[in-house]
Amino acid sequence: MRNAAIIGCGQTKHTSKRRDVSVAELAAEAVSAALDDAGITMKEVGAVISGNMQGFGGVAQPEQWIGDWIGCAGKPAIRIATGGTTGGSVAHGALYAVASGMYDISIGVAWEKHSDSKEAGATTGLAHVGIGNLFHALSYGLSLKNLIATTAVGAAAGVAVYQARFYMHRSGAGIEHLDMVAAKARRNAAKNPYAHLQWPNCQPSDIAKTDMIAYPFRFGHVCPASDGASCIVVAEEKLAKKLCKHPAWLKGLASYSDEENQLQSENYGGVGVLDPSEQMGARVSAQKAYSMAGITDPQKEIDMAEIYQPFPSQELIFSERLGLFDDATAWRHMEKGETDINGRLPISVSGGVNATNAIGSSALQRVLECALQIMGKAGEHQVPKKVKTAMAHGWGGVTNYITVTVLGDSPRG
Amino acid sequence: MGYVKETRPETMMVEGDWQVGCYRYKAPRLLEEYTRALKKKKILGTMCMGCGKVIVPPRNICGRCHMRMEGRMIVSEIGTITSFVVSPPVVKGKYKLFGVDPVDTGALKEGEVMVPVFIRFDGSDSNLACLLFNADPKKVFIGMRVKAVWAAEPKGAMSDLDGVEPLEKL
Repeated sequence: MRNAAIIGCGQTKHTSKRRDVSVAELAAEAVSAALDDAGITMKEVGAVISGNMQGFGGVAQPEQWIGDWIGCAGKPAIRIATGGTTGGSVAHGALYAVASGMYDISIGVAWEKHSDSKEAGATTGLAHVGIGNLFHALSYGLSLKNLIATTAVGAAAGVAVYQARFYMHRSGAGIEHLDMVAAKARRNAAKNPYAHLQWPNCQPSDIAKTDMIAYPFRFGHVCPASDGASCIVVAEEKLAKKLCKHPAWLKGLASYSDEENQLQSENYGGVGVLDPSEQMGARVSAQKAYSMAGITDPQKEIDMAEIYQPFPSQELIFSERLGLFDDATAWRHMEKGETDINGRLPISVSGGVNATNAIGSSALQRVLECALQIMGKAGEHQVPKKVKTAMAHGWGGVTNYITVTVLGDSPRG
Repeated sequence: MGYVKETRPETMMVEGDWQVGCYRYKAPRLLEEYTRALKKKKILGTMCMGCGKVIVPPRNICGRCHMRMEGRMIVSEIGTITSFVVSPPVVKGKYKLFGVDPVDTGALKEGEVMVPVFIRFDGSDSNLACLLFNADPKKVFIGMRVKAVWAAEPKGAMSDLDGVEPLEKL
């Protein structure tokens, strides 16, 4: 494979309602910002990879609408939809396009526009997903009450509650640790101009005052439903060196699906085996991506990580599963401040998905934020230490799919 | 860049109803076996011949060793809670799904507190999400022993296994 690097990043400001723009206009803002950042125009771009969560936004072929709007007529385009990991897969798609030698420059654009749903949050989008994933269960005779109570309404949040219980039971983490993660996310987000839920100096005690939804999740623990888009520009080695002072080089990537973590889906066969917080997909993806990147000890070699954590328990679960901490110890490291912006291993310094969740875009933002840290362009939320290696994670599919992307400050050897 | 808006008036909105169409799904073979067993008030699982794990509801291929799950096992109707959630009381009009208020359909009752749980039935290695009935939500704990609650007249459908209830009165 050829070396590939991220040379430009663009995002929109994320808010709960962007009623002033359409889907295409929203995506165009991010694309335009990324192309400006890379110092190129659409003419130089060879291929366009786009994506959002399937069905969300209520648009069937968004790539056609967006494609025209961003001026990529006549260029090869792919649309990717892998649930919550869509952005991670979009990043992988854009990196594949260049690393394979097919194109010299590609862009990856991912977006979500929750406010186009008339019902609260992402309900309409979930309805789209639910038809394929849950409605067959009704036709096999599942009662409506059971469907509502155990599968449909919970969606990712429902899965995360069960998962949090499993994790807390086995690791010894308490609800106060979830408060700490959420407070950290809000604090970090206050330093990120593109983030949604910004709360300067937010403390765990502030989060603890919010209403309990379903133990262990309080209102303050839950991610928002955001409108927003993000875009990366990927280039091959020679162009990357020419166009960008500090490109963020692709070191390793992998994605795995673990059907054991799929909650009652498709054939009604998938229910987390023993432990939904097991997340074997994360372990396998991380192993593969690290070995590709030449990382032998992720606990020492990774300088910062962006973890997909719509719910605070997931920052703890995934940081362990991705090899950043030993099993059941992530909350102890967090207690010591090691995951803070100026800590030993900063995690989700952008505020992460817990503070900003435009679902399709969320996992791409993780890659983008890692790239910004390596390029030194993160601004106020730039990690004080030198970032040589950064890891971006995505969680999605039907709660079963994982993407891991490792970026570095030098090309692969 | 010419294509980014300079002025930002509100985008026009068009109101409309969205009809969700119907599908006819072909049930997987194992699901048929599973629901037939439910009619006899039995819970069917499949066993992996590689690692010995028993999965309920049954599945074809083991997600860990990727071997065919050839074995058939009837597992106990008694099991253990491995995870649970206590819902806030249901409020009419608070949320809608597909444009429908679940209280209006009669599926949920106003003020009802639901306790969705993960159950590992004895003899199985997987967790099944279902509802816990006849229990004080404040007294539910991980490790609590429960037994299946069956429909009054099982008819060979998923609804035959309605949920679970505590084995001992608390």
